[in-house]
Amino acid sequence: MAKPKLGIFSLTGCGGDQLMILNMENELLDLLSYFEIKDFQEGSSYHEDVELDIALVEGSVSTETDLKRLKEIREKSKTLIALGDCAIGGCVQAMRNGQMSMAERMKKVYGVEEDYYDVLEPKGLSAHVKVDLEIPGCPIEKTEIFRAITSLLHGDLPETIDYPVCVECKLNGYPCVLVEKGMPCLGPLTTAGCDARCPGLGLDCIGCRGPIPDEANAAAELDVLLEKGYDEKYIINRLRFFGGNFEDIQKLTKKISERRNKTEGNE
Amino acid sequence: MKRVIEVEELTRVEGHGRVEVVIDGEEIKDVNMAIFEGPRFFEAFIETVHYEKVPDIMRRICAICTASHSLASIRAIEKAFNVKVTEQTSLLRDLLIHGEMIESHALHVFMLALPDYLGFPDAVRMASKYPKEVKAALRLKQAGNMVHNIVSGREVHGMNERVGGFSTVPSEQDLKQIKMVMAATKPTAELAVDLFAKLETPKFAESDNVLMALDPGDKFGFMGDYVLVSDGTRHPVENYQALTNERTVKYSHAKFSSYKGSSFMVGALPRVLLNKDKLEGTAAALYDEHKDLLTQNNTLTNNLAQAIELVHSVDRCIEDIDALLSNGLKNEGLVEIEVKANRGTAAVEAPRGILYHDYTFDGEGCIVKCNVITPTAQNAANMEKDYRAAAKRLISEPDEKLVNASNLSLEPTTHAYPARCT
Ligand code: SF4
Ligand code: SF4
Repeated sequence: MAKPKLGIFSLTGCGGDQLMILNMENELLDLLSYFEIKDFQEGSSYHEDVELDIALVEGSVSTETDLKRLKEIREKSKTLIALGDCAIGGCVQAMRNGQMSMAERMKKVYGVEEDYYDVLEPKGLSAHVKVDLEIPGCPIEKTEIFRAITSLLHGDLPETIDYPVCVECKLNGYPCVLVEKGMPCLGPLTTAGCDARCPGLGLDCIGCRGPIPDEANAAAELDVLLEKGYDEKYIINRLRFFGGNFEDIQKLTKKISERRNKTEGNE
Repeated sequence: MKRVIEVEELTRVEGHGRVEVVIDGEEIKDVNMAIFEGPRFFEAFIETVHYEKVPDIMRRICAICTASHSLASIRAIEKAFNVKVTEQTSLLRDLLIHGEMIESHALHVFMLALPDYLGFPDAVRMASKYPKEVKAALRLKQAGNMVHNIVSGREVHGMNERVGGFSTVPSEQDLKQIKMVMAATKPTAELAVDLFAKLETPKFAESDNVLMALDPGDKFGFMGDYVLVSDGTRHPVENYQALTNERTVKYSHAKFSSYKGSSFMVGALPRVLLNKDKLEGTAAALYDEHKDLLTQNNTLTNNLAQAIELVHSVDRCIEDIDALLSNGLKNEGLVEIEVKANRGTAAVEAPRGILYHDYTFDGEGCIVKCNVITPTAQNAANMEKDYRAAAKRLISEPDEKLVNASNLSLEPTTHAYPARCT
């Protein structure tokens, strides 16, 4: 049987998801030998522009160039997989979406008025093209990518996780840092799969695997954290770390800033 | 006749880059090194964020130097709030940054740079001919990752190192495990030195080269509060703006830096050359043996310097662990922090060179202003200088040969400096 043709690509991000693939030190050589690798920007200068069975794409769409490349990749790939938060919800660079214009960002960082670099408001892949599977994480977990790749080899798409980090926290028997220490944990609305890594170390979850699709309840989290004594600005910033592109969180931000403007206006 | 030689997409770099050399007759018209990794605007979006999670966000600038970013960020915050950490915390941080150096250099030296010299497009294909070496390299890289996992909580974007200390102190068992693995993989680090010492390093990019590295204090290392320059001067890191003079250029998303009007280099070669007297043990002996091969004006010798740092880092990890264990591990918790409106600047040596983080906070401990200068941004102008020197030497070649030669020269030059980060 012919080996499936695989391409690994990156748009705008930190390169961490490709690095996690390279980090599979024990399995890397064996695993990749099941594929014909046609593109691997971070790991190889080999490149062949052919139809692909599977394209793994990390990074957000943040420039016109990203968008053009993404469309080309989509065009030539049977299955397109979004790898990591950047490719799903835009990750941290989407933190100010809807809050700060791209022109303002250019001005602050590059000190120029003009858009030198054809920047776009950072978005995940599915905002622009059809995506067949999303593997969350900042970065992705090795076990998850390994499972995904082996399922794909058998022609299946792997199952996705739709429950919160709290579930893994309970399974591990970790004390709840939110309830017991009052730490601002985002576990209740964050996609599980990291084995509750942060609570396991005595830390609060910052939501690095992104809000659970269609399930995350940002308003409820806001109420809980308000009750614990955190202020609105703090909570909204935190919900936005990895949730800047999520509708619920955007709506909540808007509601709060409108209310604030109103009360400030009344003073 | 006008010729344009272009390497569209630099590969085997941790980021996106492109080089363009424009030749008109016998003259080099233009050399443009563009880093076009999409801009992410960290310095803009981090504003108003409370200090405590700032390192968790800022480390996401780069995966391969994630702990360097987190430590630079943490140290800048601690400077702003006058935080003094314990000896145990300092030792664990030192262990972490040396682990990162191992992971990153092993990847870079064996998997990104070596294939150029042996004529393979990548390490996976190189493994078909050199399976033993590639596997050993992967084990060395894994040893570095083990430090990330145990000390920081994860290989990429960990979370355990905090402002004021560590959330959970690693167990004695885990530290002993790291020590064992380090001792076992040391020969691979030495092999890296041996390989790069034997390979003939091309000289086509040789040109005047200014070096900068942090002054690590008495012993060779990757943290410090002063910057050494090859002109013999020494500057507090707070003066970084005068050292880097960043400017925005239209064709590259990474800003360009200059010192007294010329480009400069940061990274392993500057560190080893400016701090050579501080090397110890095997690394010092290997430096002595090969010092003639490490030339300031040939940036391609950076790979050999990285290999020497690999050996140093393996030994230092063992030394740090010995010190931690003999002091006895304590569950100290985090140092209490009193926030105030203030500014803090800190630098660490990331694998690719000096990395600066500079923050200003309001009275509640939230960011008012942030500035980060990455090694990639500092090196970009210097890479351009190297490409120009290489193009000049190769200009008289006929077209076809020139394209070949340029590919040959551009690739290793690219892999002498690894890139990323905007
Ligand atoms: S610590 Fe966080 S993730 Fe764990 S149960 Fe509590 S809220 Fe959920
Ligand atoms: S606990 Fe939260 S922040 Fe920590 S790794 Fe898991 S998803 Fe990410």
